[in-house]
Amino acid sequence: MSTTPDKLVERYLKHLEVELDDLPRDRRREIVDEIAGHIAEARAALEHETEADVRNILEGLGDPAEIAEDARERFEVAPPVPAQPYKPGWIEIAALILLLIGGVVLPLFGWVIGVVLLWVSNAWNVRDKVIGTIFVPGGLALPLGLLFFAGSGEGGICEPVISPAGSGGTATCPDGGSSTNYFGLVAAITLLLIPFVTAAYLAYRLRHQPTAATA
Amino acid sequence: MVATGKQDALLAQMRKGTLQYCVLALLVDDERYGFELVRSLAETDGMVTSEGTIYPLLSRLRRDGLVETTWRESSSGPPRRYYRLTKSGRAALQAFKAEWGPFRDTVDHFVERKT
Repeated sequence: MSTTPDKLVERYLKHLEVELDDLPRDRRREIVDEIAGHIAEARAALEHETEADVRNILEGLGDPAEIAEDARERFEVAPPVPAQPYKPGWIEIAALILLLIGGVVLPLFGWVIGVVLLWVSNAWNVRDKVIGTIFVPGGLALPLGLLFFAGSGEGGICEPVISPAGSGGTATCPDGGSSTNYFGLVAAITLLLIPFVTAAYLAYRLRHQPTAATA
Repeated sequence: MVATGKQDALLAQMRKGTLQYCVLALLVDDERYGFELVRSLAETDGMVTSEGTIYPLLSRLRRDGLVETTWRESSSGPPRRYYRLTKSGRAALQAFKAEWGPFRDTVDHFVERKT
């Protein structure tokens, strides 16, 4: 990533603005403007500006967080309360369980409740919620249902059987067409695994919460 | 022996507390703009660790009416905000000086005493 001096300055000022967020607006503007002016003066005083020069100027000004801390003290603004990490509770646990097996216990309805709980919870951000919803609708009920129907329907799922000739264990299908059935089996197993992966992912996100979770 | 962390914090507080009077003192004779003030302060070692912290201070002094500002055109770039002492700024500086001198002497009297 290449950085030009202008970009460095821009990033610094933006950072400063963010850090000064809890100061009254006019004061924040004044400080940011003055510091921008300071940088411009310092740069103008250079004969031949290099990136190192600009970095030195910014370093001389100090860390935006430090300036902000000083400013809060000067203006007697209370320091920001660190955002309390959201504590996952029964909503999250119930959501995970219902997303996984809700559809099995209570066809369709159980899973829908899981989705509602997922979206009500503050522990996940929108991306997590979308992932939780689309992988997989119905949770385990979908692949289990497919397996069930495939097993009971025509050309059902193939059971690996020991061939009578004793030539070893091969999966054979009574009706032939083993390749399509294999495909179906793989798809069903994949479909069976995805809800577990999703649940594991969501559980992981509970422990490593994204900062945007409270948004 | 005092923990160095505690000592550092005390020195930082002392610096912070006296910095505004140094700024006021720099403005006694002349009005100056921010960059100029920072430069003068930075010339003295140890007075300012982060130059940027001067600007919240200047803003505060202005709100408290100890300094006032005027924008002036600059020959080398955008206009500059010049800071000037007000009457109450001058009075605050005088009051500080009246306290600081004896205070410094008293502390010196003890800490510099040859034992």
